[in-house]
Amino acid sequence: MGKINKITLKEAAGLIKDGDMLSFSGFTIWRRPMALIYELVRQGKKDLHLFEVNGGTHTEILAGAGCVKIWESCWVGHELYGKLGESVARGQVEGSILVEDYSHAQCVARLLAGAYGLPFFPTALSMGTDILNPKFDMLGKAGLRDGSNPKIPLKKYDTIPDPMYDMGNILLMPAANPDWALVYAQQVGDEGTVRVLAQTYVDLEVIKAAKKVIVIAEEIVPDSYLRDEPALNIAPGYAIDYVIEQPFGAHPTGSQFFYDVDADFIRAFYQASKSADGYKKFADEWIFGVDGFDEYLEKLGVNRLLKLKANSVMGYSTTMKRGTR
Amino acid sequence: MTAKNYAENYKGADLLAVAAAREVQDGDIVFAGTGLPMLAIALAQITNAPNAVCIYEAGSIDGRPKDLPASVGDARCATQSSVAAGLTEAFYGQLHSGYVDLAFLGGAEIDKYGNVNTTVVGDYAAPKKRFTGSGGNPDINSFARRTVFIMVQEKRRFKEHVDYITSPGWRIPEWPSGEMKSKKEVYGKFFNGGLSAVITNMAVFRFDEDGIMYLDTVHPGFTPEQVKENCEFDLNISRCRGVTERPTVEEIELLYKVVDKDGIFLP
Repeated sequence: MGKINKITLKEAAGLIKDGDMLSFSGFTIWRRPMALIYELVRQGKKDLHLFEVNGGTHTEILAGAGCVKIWESCWVGHELYGKLGESVARGQVEGSILVEDYSHAQCVARLLAGAYGLPFFPTALSMGTDILNPKFDMLGKAGLRDGSNPKIPLKKYDTIPDPMYDMGNILLMPAANPDWALVYAQQVGDEGTVRVLAQTYVDLEVIKAAKKVIVIAEEIVPDSYLRDEPALNIAPGYAIDYVIEQPFGAHPTGSQFFYDVDADFIRAFYQASKSADGYKKFADEWIFGVDGFDEYLEKLGVNRLLKLKANSVMGYSTTMKRGTR
Repeated sequence: MTAKNYAENYKGADLLAVAAAREVQDGDIVFAGTGLPMLAIALAQITNAPNAVCIYEAGSIDGRPKDLPASVGDARCATQSSVAAGLTEAFYGQLHSGYVDLAFLGGAEIDKYGNVNTTVVGDYAAPKKRFTGSGGNPDINSFARRTVFIMVQEKRRFKEHVDYITSPGWRIPEWPSGEMKSKKEVYGKFFNGGLSAVITNMAVFRFDEDGIMYLDTVHPGFTPEQVKENCEFDLNISRCRGVTERPTVEEIELLYKVVDKDGIFLP
């Protein structure tokens, strides 16, 4: 019988050191480990190195608070609720955040290599773009590709002629192996088996690629329940290092079958994030102004959370007003 | 066949969605991004292409949403999908493996070869402004057999050279040398196709044998000369076939009462 190592949000954030490399579950504004993100900000983490297939509200919360030094990814924004990643953009323009752009599928290739213990993964996607322009190898230009940081590969990518079937040139993308995977999953078993509901995004790969894995579970359930349908699970308990049970732990991002995206919250955050001042006001109210995530939920209020509640059959809210009609 | 009942009143976005939907051929496997592309594929599936299927890059394959998703990772994308997986399945299992016929994408800037920028304004190493970044745009654009871009027509967006090539058009740099070559040369035997059309609020553009953009049709109310004035590069208007087919009353009704019944993208 396996067992889980249950810890608190404060303890989890305390394990993460300044300068660590992090990756996340989810996709843009869905299934992000938000409760832990807020706690990282509260604890004042510095110089974090984010590697993610795409960014979202969680990235912007960290970047706006000055927690991020390196951001390797391909996209950041809040989908329909905020068209840009204002804090990352400000950091890139001002030079306080080192941005290394890849394409979505190139990021996936990097995670696949990391997940499967390979030094690189080949892909022919997104050739002929400025992503591959050697002038725009920003970590290289910053002198970080000298092998001194084991998390930064010696090259941004390489190109080789296909030696097997003579298909032409193909790219090799270096493995990404973050120190930490911060994951939000709907269900974790009492022996650590992980299940996410609906799309899996890159969670399987992030869990395998990272050295240590922290999962925020919306609910902890008997492992036997998850083992009745093993094909629906994404990771065995032994791959998970720490578990936090935190209802609404992904708010304001969405969690299929539990709650929808809190569009109003993200819209308001996006507006605030357009200036450093605005961000500070947001953080003073929603991050530093509350003692922890329970107080944050209390501040949101039961009516707001009920509106987001997913229809248990459809998997998303069927009662909240989404558009103009 | 009865004559089509064309709509008198419609908005620019309606025409964009309808024109994009008409690019879908029945049976196409379509990769769609957030926004108007979602309207286009959903409209096509209930009009001209009932057997077209949709893949969203977050991992839902052939979903049949009951409610319009607001983004490609939305829970609504997965409703009645044949497979709900992740990005590895979407980008490698479906796209890299060669299933995708058509993709709908967007961009901030485009040049005459169809190279698209969604990353920065100015020099990338010291940018003036950052956009969202590539997302899956260049991946999808590099491997789909046909891609259709939906964009805003402005002189500053239809440029001689884009500031940064996020997504590959028909003439692109081969790295690490940076030598400009045709897409076919750069992709070798991986070549599947590429940009097929650009649809804006003013016109529909296509690409000639040399991979250069030309004006195909102008939307009602615009002239070829006006479109040309809204391009920084010297647009070829000599092949213009006339006016873009207007939306029908039925298409507009479907858009507002079925596809986007909640008014998410069409307020």
